[in-house]
Amino acid sequence: MRITCPFCGERELGEFTYLGDAKPVRPVAGASEGEVFDYVYLRDNIAGVMSENWYHGGGCRAWLKVTRNTLTHEISAVEPAAGVGAAKVGA
Amino acid sequence: MAEFSWDVRSPLDRALVAGQYGAQGDAGVSLTEIRNFDLVQVIVRRGKAADTAQAAKARFGVATPETPKAVQTTDATLIWSGPDQFFVLSKDGKHGTEALAQPFASSASLSDQSHARVLISISGARARTMLAKLSSIDLHHDAFALGAAAATSMDHTSVTLWRGNDRDGLAVFNVLVFATFAESLWHTILDSAAEYGVAISHSEELA
Repeated sequence: MRITCPFCGERELGEFTYLGDAKPVRPVAGASEGEVFDYVYLRDNIAGVMSENWYHGGGCRAWLKVTRNTLTHEISAVEPAAGVGAAKVGA
Repeated sequence: MAEFSWDVRSPLDRALVAGQYGAQGDAGVSLTEIRNFDLVQVIVRRGKAADTAQAAKARFGVATPETPKAVQTTDATLIWSGPDQFFVLSKDGKHGTEALAQPFASSASLSDQSHARVLISISGARARTMLAKLSSIDLHHDAFALGAAAATSMDHTSVTLWRGNDRDGLAVFNVLVFATFAESLWHTILDSAAEYGVAISHSEELA
């Protein structure tokens, strides 16, 4: 499997580390116990298209959001995670 | 109180033995460690990309590399190392941390990496064949031309790789590696290059 890093171009899987589902969003302060439990522990086991966080640690060290089909490993989109690169924010 | 004498030594001081190595005859790969350079990591602060580019242009007279490439000026090389960050490689303090502190004071953060990295210059007729064992990047001239750069891994070790000016009509590949990983990567490079014959040296001159 190869991932096309938006900064580096196409690279082998070995340069990347998988973090997991990119969907969960940290609950606001004061959120209920149920919401925090859901955020910390509960994950969907998706058979199909999934949004995932990957880290290009063996390359440019950017966090990436990868849209991947877990059944076919087909990758349909790769974009920088929110906040990556100073140019992406407020520039 | 004990007296300490701090000698500046290359991290490859023990591993590097100048001369011939591996197969006899004409060396297919030449390895040169470049010593005593100034290396500054420039990291753009949030929202300051345009300011940093302007400061760099004023200082170096060239545009900062915004994609994986290395830009050479008369006395410095700017090497892309990731989104919104690049290295400044130079000599004799011309563009060291102290010299760059003022120009980038309001736009970027600097980190002195001069003694934190080892710079290995790889060339020779079999350099690409040897590097193909270590790198998954296509280093063919059409894919990795003069001035191309990459933040990548060799033997699971993070490196900054870029192509410098050709020497004797042959491509020169520069590898910047973390000092503490340098000896390990050096031995891996030697193992990979041995079958082609290796000419080993060190130099104070930036290629």
